[in-house]
Amino acid sequence: MIAFFGRSVVQKSITLFFVSVVSFLVIHLAPGQPSQIDPLNPKFTREVVERMRQQFHLDKPLHIQYLLFYRDLFTGKTVSWKDSRPVLGKIYERFLNSLPLFILGTLLTWTFSFPMGIRAAIQRNGPFDKSTTFLSYVLISVPGFFFAYVLIILVVTHLNVPVIDMQTFGVTSDSVMVLFMDRVWHLVLPSILGATGGIAVLSRYVRGQMLEIIGMDYVRTARAKGLSYDGVYYRHALRNALLPFVTMFGLMLPGLIGGSVIIESIFGWPGMGRMAYEAILARDYPVILTLNFITGVLVLAGTFISDLLYMVVDPRIRL
Amino acid sequence: MASSTDIVLKVEDLRVQFHGDGPVSRAVDGVDFEIRNGETVCIVGESGCGKTVTALAVMGLLPQPPARIAGGRILFGGESLLEMPSSGLRALRGKRMAMVFQEPMTSLNPVFTIGDQISEAILVHEAVTTADARRRTIQLLEDVGITDPGKRIDDYPHQLSGGQRQRAMIAMALACGPELMIADEPTTALDVTVQAQILQLLKRLQQHSRMAIQYITHDLGVVATIADRVYVMYAGMIFEQGTTGHIFNNPRHPYTMALLDSLPTREKRGQRLYSIPGSVPHPAYKPSGCPFHPRCPHRRPSCVDAFPEMCDYGEGHLARCPILYGMERDSA
Repeated sequence: MIAFFGRSVVQKSITLFFVSVVSFLVIHLAPGQPSQIDPLNPKFTREVVERMRQQFHLDKPLHIQYLLFYRDLFTGKTVSWKDSRPVLGKIYERFLNSLPLFILGTLLTWTFSFPMGIRAAIQRNGPFDKSTTFLSYVLISVPGFFFAYVLIILVVTHLNVPVIDMQTFGVTSDSVMVLFMDRVWHLVLPSILGATGGIAVLSRYVRGQMLEIIGMDYVRTARAKGLSYDGVYYRHALRNALLPFVTMFGLMLPGLIGGSVIIESIFGWPGMGRMAYEAILARDYPVILTLNFITGVLVLAGTFISDLLYMVVDPRIRL
Repeated sequence: MASSTDIVLKVEDLRVQFHGDGPVSRAVDGVDFEIRNGETVCIVGESGCGKTVTALAVMGLLPQPPARIAGGRILFGGESLLEMPSSGLRALRGKRMAMVFQEPMTSLNPVFTIGDQISEAILVHEAVTTADARRRTIQLLEDVGITDPGKRIDDYPHQLSGGQRQRAMIAMALACGPELMIADEPTTALDVTVQAQILQLLKRLQQHSRMAIQYITHDLGVVATIADRVYVMYAGMIFEQGTTGHIFNNPRHPYTMALLDSLPTREKRGQRLYSIPGSVPHPAYKPSGCPFHPRCPHRRPSCVDAFPEMCDYGEGHLARCPILYGMERDSA
């Protein structure tokens, strides 16, 4: 066990180092420079550009820039080039905004996908299976943004559910309840939209996995024992069918920081995804690289958690 | 001759078809057989002749669709299984009839201990406490010859060898003391020494109870070791039936003879082993007349059209070849 921990930490540190190098190089390979962001702006004189280059160490060789950046990152001194605010503070603020969207979206996705996929598999080729298959493919094929606009039009014209931003603009009330419910209503549409795509894909995956397990010899053995329908499907088959999803559970972690660029942009949601998108457009290297690095850490932590969970649920896997 | 009350399982004119893309496969095409108390009956035949499908039909484990039972009756202890509601069938399965499958590697659930899986079979059918079920499971494991059963009971299938897993499967089948055990090639995936041990085990277990065994195999060596009576199956039909002595000493059907000829024996040492030309017909494209005629050395022109009826040689020895039957009567 201790050996496993030690090995994981060493392996993952090495991976993380390469991630940091590659992401740094990729950013610098991209054409353009932060100092040339707007050549037509009269304020950007040669002197200003030169000063910026010095201030951001852009005049130094690449490997020095790399070291300087990660020194700042680990000492928590990285600041955004755009507004000179500490990057970690900025990310944390946006993270809190994205979190409810992520939690609700994920919860919806998982609670609907599993029952749907399992039932479709058990009643293979039945009416339920056929209709959910059709629906899934419709949801997978229709682009999310198109679906979002259709929903927004419907909701705005027929229901009084507010859709844009995290709260109604200029809402003030003495009642905490009113403010809270305003927030909740704003959450509904983006999280449903975020979940539909996930449900369409994940329920297919659950169905496929379940179908594969139902065909296994040991499921036939369970039936030969005289077990009931529930005993065969929910005890013997489901337990095995769920194993791969344990891995997915760990890999969901990076989604925390990624957010959803499209959904957040459409709904004007000030979340992580939008911040990353804006940072890329502004060539705000510190923000992009910090996000990249945190995502890397979360991916590695996610795989580590998956390994541990796998060990708990699958007796064949031991360290 | 045993009285009819002794009969555990009686299958009459069973027909199973598979409907998929393309023509209908008649995997089992009118099979009759019966098994009496305490008897070991072997169903022998090449791969793809319908042995396993017959067994699964008896257990009610055929996946429907694609399979469809197109006709016939299955009587277990006098009750018709095909007309029984699924709840009644479930109460029988695992309790009064049990099945051991071909692949011990994949027939046990990898995420439960073997103790869980065996005691589950007891708990489903009997009102006993978990502790009692566990005690009985340990006893069962000991009965099937697993050493140190008190410790092995908490092992997962992957921690056991192939032979031990098959023993665990047999223990699971025995859990409720069934009247009939269907063993579908239980030793095919095991090596020869383990195979001999498993066969001995089955014989020994049968002596303690009055359990009947329907043993499905393509291995005539195994048949000679354990069978009381034998049914030879080909293309979804019974081609010959009789006691083990009848079949091995006095085969009356060209197919049975050909099967026996392809066995290696001491006399045939160094010679090229006989093999039946051609292969088992696909169940969707069976030849007309006698399904065996394209491969038969005694073929007559009439075999192409005339469907062969069962010919009775007495003492329960029947064979589906009117040509040989006619020749024998003429010479007598």
